[in-house]
Amino acid sequence: MALRDKYYEHRRAILGLLSLVGLIGAWELCLTYVIPVDPFFFTKPSLIAVAFEEQILTGSLLHDLAVSSKAFFWGLLLAVIVGIPLGLVMGWRRRVEYTLDPFLTAMYASPLVALAPLIIVVFGVGLFAKIVLVFLLSVFPFIFNAFAGVKSADPLLINVVRSFGGKERDLYLKVILPGTLPYIVAAARLAIGRALVGIIVGEYYAASEGIGFAISKFGDTYRLPEMFVGIIVMSLAAVILTEIMRKLEGVIAPWRRGEEV
Amino acid sequence: MKQEHEPLLLGGGFIALLLLLWEAVPWLTTLPRGLALFFTTPSKIAAAFFQLLADGQIQEHFSVSAVAFLVGLGLAIVVGLPFGMAMGRSRTLEALLDPYVTAFNATPRLVWLPLLILWFGIGIWSKIMIVFAGATFPLLVNTYVGVKNVDRVLVNMVRSFGASEWQVIRVVVLPNSVPYIIAGLRLAIGRAILGVVVGEFFGASKGLGFMIASAATNYKVDVVFVGVFIFMALSTLLTLSVKKIESNLSHWRPETAKTF
Amino acid sequence: MTPCIQATNVTLTFTSKNREPVTALKEFSLEVAAGEFVSIVGPSGCGKSTFLNILLGLVKPDSGEMRLNGTNITGPGQERAMVFQEFGLLPWRTVLANVELGLELKGVAVAARRSRAMELIQMTGLAGFESHYPHELSGGMKQRVGLARALATDPQVLLMDEPFAALDAQTRDLMQTELLHVWERTRKTVIFVTHSIEEAAYLSDRVIVMSARPGRTKDILKIHLPRPRDYEMRLSPGFNEIKSAIWNTLKEELSATGVGDGPAR
Repeated sequence: MALRDKYYEHRRAILGLLSLVGLIGAWELCLTYVIPVDPFFFTKPSLIAVAFEEQILTGSLLHDLAVSSKAFFWGLLLAVIVGIPLGLVMGWRRRVEYTLDPFLTAMYASPLVALAPLIIVVFGVGLFAKIVLVFLLSVFPFIFNAFAGVKSADPLLINVVRSFGGKERDLYLKVILPGTLPYIVAAARLAIGRALVGIIVGEYYAASEGIGFAISKFGDTYRLPEMFVGIIVMSLAAVILTEIMRKLEGVIAPWRRGEEV
Repeated sequence: MKQEHEPLLLGGGFIALLLLLWEAVPWLTTLPRGLALFFTTPSKIAAAFFQLLADGQIQEHFSVSAVAFLVGLGLAIVVGLPFGMAMGRSRTLEALLDPYVTAFNATPRLVWLPLLILWFGIGIWSKIMIVFAGATFPLLVNTYVGVKNVDRVLVNMVRSFGASEWQVIRVVVLPNSVPYIIAGLRLAIGRAILGVVVGEFFGASKGLGFMIASAATNYKVDVVFVGVFIFMALSTLLTLSVKKIESNLSHWRPETAKTF
Repeated sequence: MTPCIQATNVTLTFTSKNREPVTALKEFSLEVAAGEFVSIVGPSGCGKSTFLNILLGLVKPDSGEMRLNGTNITGPGQERAMVFQEFGLLPWRTVLANVELGLELKGVAVAARRSRAMELIQMTGLAGFESHYPHELSGGMKQRVGLARALATDPQVLLMDEPFAALDAQTRDLMQTELLHVWERTRKTVIFVTHSIEEAAYLSDRVIVMSARPGRTKDILKIHLPRPRDYEMRLSPGFNEIKSAIWNTLKEELSATGVGDGPAR
């Protein structure tokens, strides 16, 4: 009984772990004993582990990670610096909203990655083109979420602050900004996903280093274990960053935990 | 200026102004030689568009892209909805699949592109698979959330009338998840188009994405923009259509509860 | 004669993770005759709603027996229908389709269930609102839909779980009087759970006062007001005596559960 209760309590973790271990085990066993591995077509966990160790020892993995992170960081920072103020102004000033909204909506709805080849031709292979690409893809969530955050300010709360003699400045500091913050953190979560797309496409397309480049290069040369190392590292980075943002959403806005923006 | 026309005038005006400025750049300044190579104007883009249309090139590339898009999205719907539904109803299945769904959903599916090209070759199937990989998860996750978020009171209410599990699903769970599924479809369309574009950059010899990539390498900037604008128009059109369906289907919801 | 509803020593304990087990009902017994209107009042968490859920067949008791017309209750059935506090209307269905729901689940043909639903829409004062969606209705109107839906399947027993708790005071008074009208016409057996002493006194033949958790019967008061009742009766000295009788029984239990959640009015 007690054991069963324990199981139900931790069912998520137990079954999740079991299914991961099971899959990896089945994958390894299947390719070891059932189907012979065609190394140009498939690989198995033990080979990936060897490649992983090797890439860590030679330092190539860390180097690629550092290269990709740099473009990721600068592009995202630029998106924050440009996107949030733009969104806030759009939320505060109706005329600005009317002017920019159709243009920005069209841009947000479009697959801006389509511009990638041109950006790379114009800016050349390297860090700068990737930063531009990351920026272009990740700026829109910040704009639109900051905008939505301001718009969501409760008129009742605004009246409450006014009725206590609050000034314009108090409105911003006590109502609008706290209300917008969770939207911005949610935007960061969306933007991270889009920024990673920018990194990957940028590095697939034209780069000489970086995780995306590694994945594409090893793919072209049929070195599957090495390619899987890149894929797994990229996935891990994505999961970790996304989960941090989720946690941050809970910390920054505990009153709305569990709600989706 | 009339109040009601203000949004339209300002918004349309801004886009018109941007295009006009863009067109006027060569008249206003002389671009440095390095930059002039990459520069084009809206009128040149329009000319290139009609030229490509007359050649039948656009139609050819478009049909290839459209097939990858439709087949991939169709597969995503066929797989994503039942899996999302099952995950929402069964806690065991939810726990088993959760690590994969979380990981796949957080990671851009494009990391799989080189592998898919390696497996399926350069051609339609690698693109279908990347579109499928991109579009499945938003559909799956949204269906799952829609099923999960069903109101307990409503389920109990229907049970109190003696409803079977299947009736509970039909009467409460499914209608409740429809808005979520449609919102998922809207996201999935975006991901599918992303898949088509990037898939065709690398793993194709035809299609609009290929047209863009090869034009860029040959410095045919006007052709690049033709492709970009076609994708823009298609995305906007599809997104707006789904939004229309969304608002038609949610006439039972109060205005404030609509998703954006 | 077998009573319509017979609960004998019903006990139910909830166990949930990281928490002490909660005994919602302990050896709770109650008999209700056919056509009787019985209210249950008691402090919050005394197991009133749990009792309704057991009666409805959604929850099974740990021990004890719950009988309906002499047979054990094993699951939901058409002889019982519930009116929910939170209305429980399907937001994507019109008033008409919501009222039809019970009949639809029973497999009644479209034409037959439509005419039956329209009948109840008339009776509950919803005429003209058939094609409205729940979000377009006021709280009072929503609960009329809840009542019409419950009555549509023509159940023998009507279970009402604080049905008017979410309504404002005036709507509440109005709905109580309308419920009495409907009850006079249909003479269902009603089990009515409420926090309001006045509501219980005004509507019921008998009022069951339950003890604080674990819930058991503390006292049963018979209400000797003539039927049909009208609003004026609530202003009479006799009505006040009934109220204070219920209140005196209840107040010890309220102090046992702490303040802040007393009965309305």
